[in-house]
Amino acid sequence: MSAVVPPAIAAGARAPVQAGAPPLVVAHVAKSFDADGRVVPVIGDLSLTLNEGEIVAIVGPSGCGKTTLLNTLCGLIAPDSGRVSWFGREMSGQPAGVGYMLQKDLLLPWRTALRNVMLGLEIRGVSLSEAEERAHVMLDQLGLHGFADHYPTTLSGGMRQRVALARTLVNEPDVLLLDEPFAALDFQTKLLIESDTAKLVRESRRSVLLITHDIEEAVSIADRVIVLSKRPTRVKAVYDIALGTERTDMIAARESAGFVDYVRRIWADLDVTRN
Amino acid sequence: MNGSPLPPRAAADAGIDAAAQDAAARRLAAHRRARLRAGLLVLASQVALLAAFIAFWEYMTAFDKQAAFMFGSPSAIAGFLVTMASDGSLWRDTYVTGVETLLGFLVGNVIGTLIGLSLWYSRFVSRVIEPFVIALGSIPIIALAPIIIIWFGTGLTSKIAMSTLSVVIVALVTSYKGAVGVDADQINLMRTLGASKFQIFRKLVVPASLTDIFAGFKLTVGFALIGAIVGEFMSSSEGLGHAIFKAGSLYIIPKVFAALVATIALALILTFIVGKVERLLMPWRRLG
Repeated sequence: MSAVVPPAIAAGARAPVQAGAPPLVVAHVAKSFDADGRVVPVIGDLSLTLNEGEIVAIVGPSGCGKTTLLNTLCGLIAPDSGRVSWFGREMSGQPAGVGYMLQKDLLLPWRTALRNVMLGLEIRGVSLSEAEERAHVMLDQLGLHGFADHYPTTLSGGMRQRVALARTLVNEPDVLLLDEPFAALDFQTKLLIESDTAKLVRESRRSVLLITHDIEEAVSIADRVIVLSKRPTRVKAVYDIALGTERTDMIAARESAGFVDYVRRIWADLDVTRN
Repeated sequence: MNGSPLPPRAAADAGIDAAAQDAAARRLAAHRRARLRAGLLVLASQVALLAAFIAFWEYMTAFDKQAAFMFGSPSAIAGFLVTMASDGSLWRDTYVTGVETLLGFLVGNVIGTLIGLSLWYSRFVSRVIEPFVIALGSIPIIALAPIIIIWFGTGLTSKIAMSTLSVVIVALVTSYKGAVGVDADQINLMRTLGASKFQIFRKLVVPASLTDIFAGFKLTVGFALIGAIVGEFMSSSEGLGHAIFKAGSLYIIPKVFAALVATIALALILTFIVGKVERLLMPWRRLG
């Protein structure tokens, strides 16, 4: 398999890539929106770092601007102030080498599972036979052997999300941005896919930024959990998660000694009030 | 597609719950049976409704000469159909109108769909031309018929032009609607995978618009037929529109209805073909 081109180079870097720079650094980013002539601050002052091979989860109260943050990170909207740098390079636009996965699987209904997985490779001009080969391998790794020729409508929600994961991972991204990718799944399916994701990601030492509202998911999968405040969003607390178990088994993680304590403290931080 | 949704071996290999897959297969089979039953019931009701209508019509005109003259009767209509079939005029007229309709349908849809889809490329251009499209779309095509005859003559071309004009705006609007209706998240996904605008167009926008395009096809089959028949009304020597017009002028009401039956049959056949092509081109819609 060919070596992965560092994304900054693939994107045609203007600034030199700093060796050993963390995949993602967000420094003092702020963003406001106009709503009926009023300025509504969404992100107050947000800084965070994603190190190589690290899984960082971001949790926050509903409506805390997680989507705005994600859109800022992937260059769909520009921040009012602050910097976003990928691999030491300040980006204005779409970073390459970053894979996304959202709650919606966004599979193309006219493509079979295999052809959905091949989409990114096709776009990048990888030869059809190689793309097919790699997509097959990816589907197999995610337990979808034998489902390659199925159309998305014939697959269950969990299987569809696995195909979406395969579609993301087959491009060998250095960084994965996951926006509540498992939120729509039932509990058992969710645990299985979380475990598989953690395993694949940790094996290949990819970096992951997971945005979620599921505290238990965040604690069980991430090395670090960043808790955001209500709008205007800032970082409220950061937890380095040490559970003392293999971090690819979500059930073991949930059974470990420290788990409940982390969940309770983060829940308290979120300051969810009843109306 | 074979009966079971999954080969059992593949399910086991995949480590996916085989029992769940079995249950899914059973559900699918039960669902199919229920759907077949419901379909048969609908069909039986349709046949009964039609039979009742024809019986009522026949009864009302059987003892009333004036009513029979004004409204024709199913038996008289059937008689004309037999005569027209045996003297060949039925086939000839249906063929002529069918060719006009099909060519107008194809030309109109190809032009309309190409323009409609390509408008996706530029929101600016589509905003500029929007009022013009609406204005053109609001012209009753029949009002253009005299000009069309002047421009294209009284032969086949003018009928195809009428048919094309009846189709093109609808095809343009439906395909454009399909193209701009593509999920923004899906477009963003294509962008994050590094797709160029053309790749987004070809791999996402065009296939995603197929549903709307085919909805447009089904709609425009009828419009193409109306265009062809109106063209024949204006000036023609053959075709179903010609037969209807001529029989109408001579007050042979059952013959008007006979030609109308042929027109309806033609419309149904063309709609059926469009449906077949749709299923052929969009295999994923048959599933799930």
